[in-house]
Amino acid sequence: MILFVLRRLGLALLQLAGLIVAVFFLIRWLPADPVARFVGLNASPEAYASARASLGLDEPLWSQFAEFVGFGEPAGLLQGSLGESWVTGSPVAQEIRLVLPATLELISYSFVLAIVAGVGLGVLGALKPGGGVDKGTTAFGMFAGSQPEFAWGLILIYVFFYLLGIAPGPLGRLSPLTPMPEPITGLLTIDAVLRGDWRLLREALHFLMLPVLTLAIIVAGPIIKLTRDSMGRVLATDYIMYAHAAGLPRRVLAANALRAALAPSMTMMGILYSFMLGGAVLVESVFSLGGLGQYAVRSILAFDYPAIQGVVLVIAAISLAVYLLLDVLHAVLDPRIV
Amino acid sequence: MLGACGPPQQASDSGTLIHVAEDVPVGLDYDGPAAAIPTSQTGVVNLMEPLLAYGRRSRADDGSVGLPDFGRIEGRLAESWHYDPERLTWTFELRRGVVGCSGNVFTADDVVYTFARAKAVAGAIPVGWFLASTASIEGFDASVFADPAARVLGDEVIKRDDYTVEIRQAAPNPLFLHVLTAFGLHVFDSRSALEHRSEDDPWSSRYVNNEVAPGFGPYCLERWTKNNEFVLSANENYYRGRPAVKRVVIKRIPQSANRFILGRMGDAGLVEKLTPREFGALREAPDVHVSGVTGNENLFVHMNFMTPPFDDTVVRRAVAHAIPYEAIAEGAYIGQARRWRGVVPSAYPDYFDGGIRYDYDPAEVRRLLAQAGYPGGVGLERFASAFELTYVAEKESVLGPIAVLVQSSMRQLGFPVTLNPVPLTQYGDRQLVKKDLPFALNDQEKPVIVDAGYAVSLFFVSPEAGGINNMVNYRNAEVDRLWARARNEIDPAVRTTLLADIQRRLLDDVVWLPVVEYRTQWAHAGRLTGLSWYPDNAPRFFDLALGAQ
Repeated sequence: MILFVLRRLGLALLQLAGLIVAVFFLIRWLPADPVARFVGLNASPEAYASARASLGLDEPLWSQFAEFVGFGEPAGLLQGSLGESWVTGSPVAQEIRLVLPATLELISYSFVLAIVAGVGLGVLGALKPGGGVDKGTTAFGMFAGSQPEFAWGLILIYVFFYLLGIAPGPLGRLSPLTPMPEPITGLLTIDAVLRGDWRLLREALHFLMLPVLTLAIIVAGPIIKLTRDSMGRVLATDYIMYAHAAGLPRRVLAANALRAALAPSMTMMGILYSFMLGGAVLVESVFSLGGLGQYAVRSILAFDYPAIQGVVLVIAAISLAVYLLLDVLHAVLDPRIV
Repeated sequence: MLGACGPPQQASDSGTLIHVAEDVPVGLDYDGPAAAIPTSQTGVVNLMEPLLAYGRRSRADDGSVGLPDFGRIEGRLAESWHYDPERLTWTFELRRGVVGCSGNVFTADDVVYTFARAKAVAGAIPVGWFLASTASIEGFDASVFADPAARVLGDEVIKRDDYTVEIRQAAPNPLFLHVLTAFGLHVFDSRSALEHRSEDDPWSSRYVNNEVAPGFGPYCLERWTKNNEFVLSANENYYRGRPAVKRVVIKRIPQSANRFILGRMGDAGLVEKLTPREFGALREAPDVHVSGVTGNENLFVHMNFMTPPFDDTVVRRAVAHAIPYEAIAEGAYIGQARRWRGVVPSAYPDYFDGGIRYDYDPAEVRRLLAQAGYPGGVGLERFASAFELTYVAEKESVLGPIAVLVQSSMRQLGFPVTLNPVPLTQYGDRQLVKKDLPFALNDQEKPVIVDAGYAVSLFFVSPEAGGINNMVNYRNAEVDRLWARARNEIDPAVRTTLLADIQRRLLDDVVWLPVVEYRTQWAHAGRLTGLSWYPDNAPRFFDLALGAQ
């Protein structure tokens, strides 16, 4: 097993190295010179040239790459540095540390909510095919998936904030008048629990309510369908049919079938979680959460090379870690893989 | 979680103003990479103080917004000043008893430090140097980029005593005092800055950009989370009096639809950068006011002289008669725009009003196209790529409908117009660096120095004659010659005549096709008063007051 994990880890590191090379050179093929935006349109040619030099863009490409990796000054990847953002001048790693928790908090709660609701509804649908729950969840799955996130977000804001007044406005993670607490983990709900600050916990949950619901609605669709189909297949297998014929109660049958049905769904759920990491950008934008997705979009629009590289690498690293974990879990559940 | 009960929503309370903006400042060093980003300028102008500022005059057209008096320059950190034409030297008597947020007292050392820092061009974007160079301050020339020794401040800016500073010019230049009002030469609290320098960062660029810009302004930075919020609290020692608004919370709300909702619900005290339609809707909302001013924001059509058929003035005039001006002003800007009749913002001194030279006139378009050799537009299909109408994609909600109006109007008259939205960075690269945009809609040119001569030199003088951002590749020896005369002309009447002559020629050649000047607007709570407009379009919270709820 240890050898298996090491092999997977080595593979993940190789993939990351390939990605580092790809992302560095690909973004330099973008069809514009980023300097113009930074100097502004009132700038003189001297200011432009000075800005270009200060960003290191006057150096040969290989030399820029060597610096990015960490061979030379200033520090690079090998020294744990992602460089400094060209837009803000702050270290990219520090900026990502600030925005990543907002995204992790959003997608993790959404993911848990979507799995609980999605798996539950999928199982119920599979247990009684063609029944009311089955038809309802199928329709919901299709409808939820066909609407873009921002549309759901705006609808929920309109209903729960504007009409009913029970949700806060799309103002971010906390009320503007509440000071952002010093981060412990950066995850507001976890930090509130660690501090025993229940007022902060309540407020953070209140502000998370609509964004989490928005993303969960979108993600629940495929989970329902996946569970429903997978469960349907398992329920039709011989051993479940035999158990049914032997008179085992439905509850026991469902539990046995679910265990078998969930295994193949796990990989898909892992992929879904990694996808949400970058894909939550629309929900982040609509609710002004200031997460990693919004940071990525802003960096791309500004052609902020160090920030783009940093975001891609962080998302890739987290995704690879999730896949590695899934591989290990699979290996634990099914030792034949090892 | 739906049942979770959060705290009640608090709109701007009696002392706190909630300002929702597209972004919060991304950096506070005006010589840093964030200088060109408008929200960063909001941070700088509220934390720091200039030597000089424009006087104020009565309210704008609708009485809601205070306007600057560009003809009257007042002292801020400088109390008085005089000029010695023999020595080309300005002497400033500085204000005493000015205390910054750190508790440091303002002295001549702070002014000298500010200019020394600008000349060092240590930041990524040397805005301070650029402004000083524009004002012809001696030694602030291109040599600083080639020669490290030239980056050291000499005797061109000297401290006579703790409250007297002298600045020497290389040549007379009427822009000098105007330049000292701009955000890019606001004065640093040198002691605070010096405390945070290091060997590899002698000008404390990292501290200034990422922690705070230490200055003597009306507000102090309370907390700042990039990409999220920027909170200011009043500088109780501010020399012009304690700010009426004690605290300002700037929240980043990137979606204009969300800013609109917050304005509508009364959750925000001050809202900026909405679409004209959203401002229109808020104008009808109870307890929300929309105030605006025709300042320096405008829309023009860009046609590149290097790209056929725009090298033919007759074709340019034909395009000018094909633009649906009325539909743009009334439809796209919901009546919050008026025809622009010049090539410089009409609020700027020495603006030349050329009248309505071109109006929508299909018959005239046909006549001019026939005269240019393209009867009914036949032959223009060879230039299909030149007629790709480029605009900034991030401004789709405003520029998209205008682009469609222009495309539809021009296609009916035989121009093969297609639409080409591109990211701002790509637009900036093609406009400023490559200068290869053939045909574009542009609504973002706001000359940072309030002067028609500066605008002319920036946009229309040829690069050989010192032009900086001549994006349409216009070359006119007569314009260059007139500018060479106007540049150092200190007789205001003569300079005004020269600048009017230049602007008349620019309109004749349709160098830019002016379309409309649109209003800079803000939506705000009814109890918020005192809004004033400044040429950088950044709000000054010191001007504001919040009435009782």
